[in-house]
Amino acid sequence: MRLFEYQGKALFLKYGIPVPRSKLAYNGSQALSAVEELGLPAVIKAQVLSGGRGKAGGVVVVRTMEEAATETKRILGLIVDGELTKALLVEEESERVEEMYLSVSLDRGRREFVALASRSGGIEVESQAKATMLVQQIPLEGLTDAGASALGAKLGLSGRTSSEFRSILLSLERLAREEECELAEINPLAVRADGNLLALDAKVVLDDNALFRHPEFSQLPPEDPLEEEAAKFGFAFVRLDGDVAVVGNGAGLVLSTLDMVADTGGRAACFLDLGGGAQRERVEAALRLAGALPSATAILVNIFGGITRTTDVAEGLKDVHSEGPMPPVFARISGVDEEAARALLSSAGISVFRTAQEAVAAAVRGASR
Amino acid sequence: MSFAFPDADDPVIVQGVTGRYGSLHAGLMRRYGTNVAAGVTPGRGGQSVEGVPVFDSVQDAVDKTGAKASVLFVPAPGLLSAAEEAVRAGVTLLVAITEHVPIRDTLKMIRLCEENGARVIGPNTPGIILPSRRLKLGIMPAPSFREGGVALFSRSGTLMYEVADTLTRSALGQHVALGVGGDPVNCTTLIECLDWAATLDEVKSVVVVGEIGGDAEERLAAHIVETSFPKPLVAYIAGRSAPKEKHMGHAGAIIYGEYGTAESKIAALRRAGAKVARTTLEIPALVSSAR
Repeated sequence: MRLFEYQGKALFLKYGIPVPRSKLAYNGSQALSAVEELGLPAVIKAQVLSGGRGKAGGVVVVRTMEEAATETKRILGLIVDGELTKALLVEEESERVEEMYLSVSLDRGRREFVALASRSGGIEVESQAKATMLVQQIPLEGLTDAGASALGAKLGLSGRTSSEFRSILLSLERLAREEECELAEINPLAVRADGNLLALDAKVVLDDNALFRHPEFSQLPPEDPLEEEAAKFGFAFVRLDGDVAVVGNGAGLVLSTLDMVADTGGRAACFLDLGGGAQRERVEAALRLAGALPSATAILVNIFGGITRTTDVAEGLKDVHSEGPMPPVFARISGVDEEAARALLSSAGISVFRTAQEAVAAAVRGASR
Repeated sequence: MSFAFPDADDPVIVQGVTGRYGSLHAGLMRRYGTNVAAGVTPGRGGQSVEGVPVFDSVQDAVDKTGAKASVLFVPAPGLLSAAEEAVRAGVTLLVAITEHVPIRDTLKMIRLCEENGARVIGPNTPGIILPSRRLKLGIMPAPSFREGGVALFSRSGTLMYEVADTLTRSALGQHVALGVGGDPVNCTTLIECLDWAATLDEVKSVVVVGEIGGDAEERLAAHIVETSFPKPLVAYIAGRSAPKEKHMGHAGAIIYGEYGTAESKIAALRRAGAKVARTTLEIPALVSSAR
């Protein structure tokens, strides 16, 4: 679960990481009174979870109230990578002489958390650059003073900046550990003329699987009603921009089916993994969900039955199919009693295939019809 | 840590045996031929599930049966403490089926095992099956697996079944099939699996099923080159068409920038001499031609 910048900065404050003064605004008048309070020049920042808001024009410095009014109006409603901007963070402008990068994140290969730092931070730092960053390993119990100082020394910091850096790194690491973050990132970490440091942005990603220990981050219900429906059943659901809704049991199986759709020249409308096993009720719910996707003109169902009786699955598909108008269904079902399941589906007018490849080809043709 | 898997008749316990999945799969493992000698659910000692006696603690179950292996169906919030209990009781092989385990709990399990000479497979794994021993420690559908000379290692559960099924239909049986798990961190890694497969005379070729996210396949490729891995290897990577920055079902299946893309994995494995299948259906032919 990724937090908005303002939520991340609230956590930073809680852990003693210095951030610029700021106010959250949901509309134009709130934003303008925030600018008046904080003074000009001010920074207006779109509060979105998608990356690339800077390039999309979601962060601007305003120097007059007129500018503030125009920019506020423009950014509220700005769409960044498909995400609508609903809130702004108005922040005092901070002069700086240098921008650094600092984060605490999981290193999957090392199987441990690491601190990454670089003297060149800012908008251009992307994951490619991370390979060249300075690394400090973090023990399970947490980073030591010595570990934090070592990273600062590797960066070549000295004096006031060096001690500030150590204290911010220790705070950031404690935040990441105690709140169970996958990532806690400050980019940029500004160096002021007086050598002090200031976190200008906050990117915090919580470990979804640890949220049960952190009820204070009670998850907001997804804004997409279909995502909400999927969450209710515990389905993994990702909306995509094509027309073939892809439903299956198991993440890898659905992923491989998406690839086959793409290889066949089709475009998937969603990734819907109903989970291991394939109980009838869950198959039914998944099919209803796929049928409700406005962009779907075909539904591709790929079930590897395993220990489930595939006739149960077939009965479920048949029931939903008979409920009312929905895009044509193309199914591949493999497992116990698959012959009987195929017969059941055929009799209900559902196109059924022996292999995933055949089902994919038919679904892609069916979608473009 | 060694890969000391139980022999055909060695006792195995199931933690979380009274839950819906625990009881279902305790029965299925037993029917396959695995000696599921005891189950554990605190507070349910004295009962019996699928003909398996239930104990309150792992220590009781181990004292009674001498089991060294446990399959865990414990819900995620309790997995770490269940694993600690098992290791303290002398269990040396833990198969953690549990999904949605916090990353830091998994990291703690890795250290627990390093300090105690135990091994965890998973979490978020379908488990391991050795058809020649009728040993099934997991939830995979037995009919898809047959005895043979392939070692199958997978990050995905259902894709492991699908690939095993495809191999079996082509008369290519498996000496072992093992799911390392769909999480960002696996307690037993693909590299460890490969090193193990290199030592097994029964294994003639290896199939690796990878997916987007992380760099386990890239590291595996480097390891193949460094160790001059001596057996033919066929790989399949799911997620060539997946979008970036979206969790594709598995917690570990996510691309950031260029990190974790299928292209990078496929290229690395090809450079290491592996044959990479474009679809799962191509795998049997590649295995046959590689032998």
